[in-house]
Amino acid sequence: MRGTRLRRLEHGLFALPALGFLGVFFFYPFLEVLRFSTWRWSGLKAPEPVGLRSYAELFADPLFWQSVKATFLFTLWVLPSFLLLSILIALLIEGQPYERFVKGALFLPGLVTVGAASTAWYTLLAPDYGALAAFLPIPAWDQEPFWAMAMVVAFTLWRYLGYGVLVVSAHLKAIPPELVEAARVDGARPFEVTRYVVLPLLRPAVLFLLVVGSVLALQSYVAVFLLTRGGPYGATRVLGYFVYELGFENFRLGYAAAATAVLLVLTLLVALAQGKLLEER
Amino acid sequence: MRHALVFLIVLAVLLPFFWMAYAAFLPPEIVYSGDLRSGFGFTLENLKKLAPEGFWPRLFFSLWVSGAVALAQVLTALLAAYALWNGVRLWAVFLFTLAIPAELLLVPLFGVLHQLRLLDTPWALLLPFFASPFTVLLVYQAMRSLPYALVEAARIDGAGEGRILFSVVAPLVFPNLVAAGVLAFAAHWNLVLFPRVAVGERYWTLQVWIADLARRYPADWGLLSAAALFSTLPLLLLYLLFERKIVETFEGSVKG
Repeated sequence: MRGTRLRRLEHGLFALPALGFLGVFFFYPFLEVLRFSTWRWSGLKAPEPVGLRSYAELFADPLFWQSVKATFLFTLWVLPSFLLLSILIALLIEGQPYERFVKGALFLPGLVTVGAASTAWYTLLAPDYGALAAFLPIPAWDQEPFWAMAMVVAFTLWRYLGYGVLVVSAHLKAIPPELVEAARVDGARPFEVTRYVVLPLLRPAVLFLLVVGSVLALQSYVAVFLLTRGGPYGATRVLGYFVYELGFENFRLGYAAAATAVLLVLTLLVALAQGKLLEER
Repeated sequence: MRHALVFLIVLAVLLPFFWMAYAAFLPPEIVYSGDLRSGFGFTLENLKKLAPEGFWPRLFFSLWVSGAVALAQVLTALLAAYALWNGVRLWAVFLFTLAIPAELLLVPLFGVLHQLRLLDTPWALLLPFFASPFTVLLVYQAMRSLPYALVEAARIDGAGEGRILFSVVAPLVFPNLVAAGVLAFAAHWNLVLFPRVAVGERYWTLQVWIADLARRYPADWGLLSAAALFSTLPLLLLYLLFERKIVETFEGSVKG
């Protein structure tokens, strides 16, 4: 075992570039956010320390609570529909000749450019200038909070559905065919096989998607930026977008850093809960 | 019934793409009439209008920035994945970074780039993306499916670690490296908010520019669709070329 220790060291060196970049551009900002949050800072002039005042202000800010509510609402819409549609589509295409094609097609929106995709959506579905508006009753999603949220949710689903279908499908393939066969021999109808044999076995897939989906719900505010800009009346201003707006439209970077810190704590709590959930599977 | 439902879903998902391809070549008369039923037509006029708006230099700029990021990310991931595969205990570190979406760090990252005096330089679009835990995960999963005996055999033959990685392991996981590279390219290509805040208009990527174009000409479907179509094409081509491998690589990461 000559040189094993040396080799160990060498392997460690191999990890250095990745660790270095993550260190400077991930871990360092991750810690710095706490320091930034004690500043009043516009990004132009020198920062001025204000202690914990930003946090006090944040928790008294009705806009903050409104965006907590919007995030919650968004999650409540996105998660169940994401899960249901992923399972439904994966079941529908399982074993069909077009299975591969459908998976490829559904995966496409997640890869193409958000800017282009939202442009296509916008020109198609805008209530005033949209191409479909001339012959379909398009709800005024630029004015009605409900429809604005529906639009952002639909866009998010459209982008990530392919991923959900892939996950469910991979787990479907892992179900031993004998189980399904046995149920059939015992006289179960196709619906019953799905309900009592297949669905319970998909539990791990559902848990996994729940994890991915909740992170998604906390972070996906690009759709909000591109489609509604948080409007109307803040109905779609989810936390991520709230932070963006504070920092880069109102130029209150210190305050935005405080909001980021709160959001990070929230995300870590969710991640921790998920870790527990995944361990159970 | 089942087939019809699947057909409808796929149609709905692909509709924006068909629309983009159709509207990009739609004559302005039809666009301004605001009614698609008023006629059909084919024109290259929208395409020509892209040039004065500064579309083409942006496209090439975006291609090279995202390309450089994809290359660097695959390289750092290849090295890190090899370290992990050889038992360097850093998995928890990468998992942690995986759990925190980078989008959440927009504000502190801006602050750090400010400290480093990188704001408003092309480096701000490059350096923060040179390593990604997700790419590390994808490459690591691919490596783990190889027999470790390969590495041991090469060591007995006297090959150094760098040599083993680049001439034995890398060629074997090459398809996965390509797939991971395409995904890395796509992720960087799709950034909108970060380039918008980190650099000035001079270095805006294509996506930021299109989002801005949509604000300036909200009713010009033709122009917007042409811009959207041609900004999607590079990714679409990459995806069609490597579709099978990308979907497989993704499935691999899901199972693990």
